[in-house]
Amino acid sequence: MSDKSNPSVQEKLTHLSELVGWFQGASFTLEDALDKFKQAEALAEEIENDLTKLKNDIKVVKKRFDSETP
Amino acid sequence: MENVLLSVSEFVAATNQTLEYAYPVVHVEGEIAEFKISQNQWVHFKIKDEVAVVSCFMTMFQMRVPLEDGMKVVVTASPKLDGRWGKFSLIVRAVRPVGEGSIKKGFELLKAKLEKEGLFAYERKRPLPRMPKKIAVITSTESAAYADFIKIINKRWGGLDVDVAHTQVQGAPAADQMIRAIHYFNSLEALPEVLVIIRGGGSPDDLAAFNDEPLARAIAESRIPTLVGVGHEVNHTLADMISDVRAATPTDAAQLLVPDRHEIIRSSKAQVHAVGFLLTQAIDTYSRQTKENLEAAFGRIQERLDDAFDRLGILRVATSQLNPEHVLRRGYALLRGDQTVGSLLQIETVKHIISAEVQDVRQK
Repeated sequence: MSDKSNPSVQEKLTHLSELVGWFQGASFTLEDALDKFKQAEALAEEIENDLTKLKNDIKVVKKRFDSETP
Repeated sequence: MENVLLSVSEFVAATNQTLEYAYPVVHVEGEIAEFKISQNQWVHFKIKDEVAVVSCFMTMFQMRVPLEDGMKVVVTASPKLDGRWGKFSLIVRAVRPVGEGSIKKGFELLKAKLEKEGLFAYERKRPLPRMPKKIAVITSTESAAYADFIKIINKRWGGLDVDVAHTQVQGAPAADQMIRAIHYFNSLEALPEVLVIIRGGGSPDDLAAFNDEPLARAIAESRIPTLVGVGHEVNHTLADMISDVRAATPTDAAQLLVPDRHEIIRSSKAQVHAVGFLLTQAIDTYSRQTKENLEAAFGRIQERLDDAFDRLGILRVATSQLNPEHVLRRGYALLRGDQTVGSLLQIETVKHIISAEVQDVRQK
């Protein structure tokens, strides 16, 4: 889970898609376009940084499954 | 015991004690005959070879794979003499088909049974999240398949919480261990988003645990969407058929589970590039439109100016027609002075100024 101040990669990707959609949609205005483009650029950079840095956390659970005992 | 007189009950008890001591558990291979189920609860059959036959008894609960006459099986059992009926039987704990034909037969019987219940139906299949954050894996952590799986998810993706349950994935205890692991993950307060079950390649006998009915049902009942990758591309097990998503191999499971981070990065950059192109296109369009508007405005101004100059030209021509110099050039003269007899007049032509005296004045 992520909070608003620390969005996940998926949330960032969704935001990027929305920005791309805005450029193709009816609400496009040249006045706002440069700002939106800068946002998209920054998001792509963040996504790259996040994905490059993130490591997986792999744990073998301690519970044994060779008998019914807990 | 030669000279000991025993009652029948004592003899049966002594025999069973001896059997229990000498053969607590036996594994007997043979062909099933006279298979029958009574009261949907008790399973009776015989196993035989070319020269001998022995009765077997088990409960339905212990029958992990459907059986029928002619199947070659190994029964794991305890021998017992039933005092009430005077019948020697193997009390079966487990039975598994052996040999390619019987394994295939057991597989087909169980497949047909589960299929009839709709457990393979497409409508039951749940999608996996595109970018899971928490997953559970059931496998043998000592296997090469597990090592490959971890290597690939580490290469492809990051930020994943992976809880691994180490179980046997081959042999008699494997199915029950995997079932316990499935139940364990399904009982967690915070459920993993995907339950992955993997095992590398092997013979049909090695993969038999994945054709176990209770395991297939545990996978079908899992609250967590399941991804099962067992063996190689050509291997089909009931576990992977009943799962939400079937992976051809453990490596394929890793690829289906998480996206490729390099692909996502490339795609993000491509999207920004596309947006940049759209922005440039929009700026070009706006510039062109602005230029066209300015050109149109200049054109209109030029038209107005041209009109004004045209009108000015006409006025200038008209004005020039009124210039007295032009009248004199056409041969007319300008006369100044009183028009009375004896007065002096000044006459101006285009070339001369002439003085003259008025000699006569008449009405026209």
